Amino acid sequence: MNLAARVAFTRSRQVRWRGRIVIGGGVVLAVVHAALLHRLKLEDFTPDLYTVAALFLGLFASRHGRYGPSLVFGLIRDFFSLGLLGSYAVLYSLLHKVAGRAREKLDPERPGNVFVMAVIGTFLVNFGYHVMLAVGGDGVGWSRAITRCASTAIATGPLAVLLFPIAHFMLEKLGAKRSGGFWNI
Amino acid sequence: MRRSEEKLSLSWLLRHPLVATCILLALTIALPYLRVGERLKLMTFLPLARASADVEQTPYEELEDEQKVRVDLALERERVSNLETENARLRAALSQLDALAQAAPGFAEAPLPAAVNARVIFRGDASTWRHCCWINRGRQQGVEEGMPVVAGRSLVGRVFMVGDGHACVQLLTDPGFLASCLIVDPDDPAIDPAARVRAVLRGDGSAMPHFPRLELEDVPAGAPVKAGMHVVTNDYSGQFPAGLAVGVVRETIPQAGFLQVRIEANLDLLTLEVVQVLMHKRPELEKEALALLKRKK
Repeated sequence: MNLAARVAFTRSRQVRWRGRIVIGGGVVLAVVHAALLHRLKLEDFTPDLYTVAALFLGLFASRHGRYGPSLVFGLIRDFFSLGLLGSYAVLYSLLHKVAGRAREKLDPERPGNVFVMAVIGTFLVNFGYHVMLAVGGDGVGWSRAITRCASTAIATGPLAVLLFPIAHFMLEKLGAKRSGGFWNI
Repeated sequence: MRRSEEKLSLSWLLRHPLVATCILLALTIALPYLRVGERLKLMTFLPLARASADVEQTPYEELEDEQKVRVDLALERERVSNLETENARLRAALSQLDALAQAAPGFAEAPLPAAVNARVIFRGDASTWRHCCWINRGRQQGVEEGMPVVAGRSLVGRVFMVGDGHACVQLLTDPGFLASCLIVDPDDPAIDPAARVRAVLRGDGSAMPHFPRLELEDVPAGAPVKAGMHVVTNDYSGQFPAGLAVGVVRETIPQAGFLQVRIEANLDLLTLEVVQVLMHKRPELEKEALALLKRKK
């Protein structure tokens, strides 16, 4: 194989859109969460769109780069928040690992499985965040925290079922390639 | 090189970002005085603020007449806007003073420290657990970390991070917010000050709108607290001046050993546009005690 063909082959295997999706999507979602979602006045049933996006990355983005994109995605949310820097980064990295394992057991193309994974994922991320709050001395009480995590998870589950097909459609329109169930992003 | 022989170095940490992030997180939790996380976050905001301040401007004398008129007009508009803000603040303070004067004459008479007016430029937080807002005043205007933020005479929060021209305010609904408070009976304002019920206000971080979800902690069971009583700040910790209005007691729920007191805050933080940063600092004695504690640790 000559040099030009080798370069072309390497490029074709490289991930596309990752930087733009992770950084652009992260900033847009952080702004949506900070400025818009609380205006809906859903109280504890405010959906966690950011975790839905992180779960999508964990389930469908190319595993090339391991948990890196999820970590950056979480760091962006941390920079737009008052909380401890790195808390969401660590939680989304762990979510990436858990999503990888869950994918082996449950087919993420089926809406029922997406709902279950989104509910469990959102609950775990929010509960993990409260654990970090409690470690820092800012916990709100365990029963209250569990109720809140459960309501957020219940609000997020159906939304993930709606948003995942939209995300697949948009990636298809962007021209991203898909193989083995993973998007080349 | 075998895995076991790898040394913990900067390059190793860069190849293992999750470990690096965990170390950063542990540092932030274990050594909160260093404020590592806050400093790193401000690094993203400071260049933006500096860039806007570094724009070169033509000296006023070199401008053409038409441009001078425009500049004068802009300055005049800014002056009028500041006066309107000041006027609104004084009106709000006056009305709250009247309400407080009926509830607790002693607190209403307590003078407030000098204040810097600020506009809320961004409200909200990317995490649904935390509550903060950004204001357009910072270190250049004398704002410092920990200063109380009020609207009129009602408590809004405290300054959490400060940039040159901006500051982040931790709202009183944030779970990390703590304030020493007194519960005052409007029907019996002449009660002995030593007999007043003391409590700790802590935000519960509920998703907005979070009122009336403020709660008071450490109220002993059997304390004479009833709905309709006023909650004001106490200067016990030196963090806030005494007499800032917080809210009104709506419900008391007896629990094991303590009384859960739910209060309705005076302000709707969703509609807040103008606030004042009080030039109030914690007494030096407190700082020295904290430094001594740090040295002992």
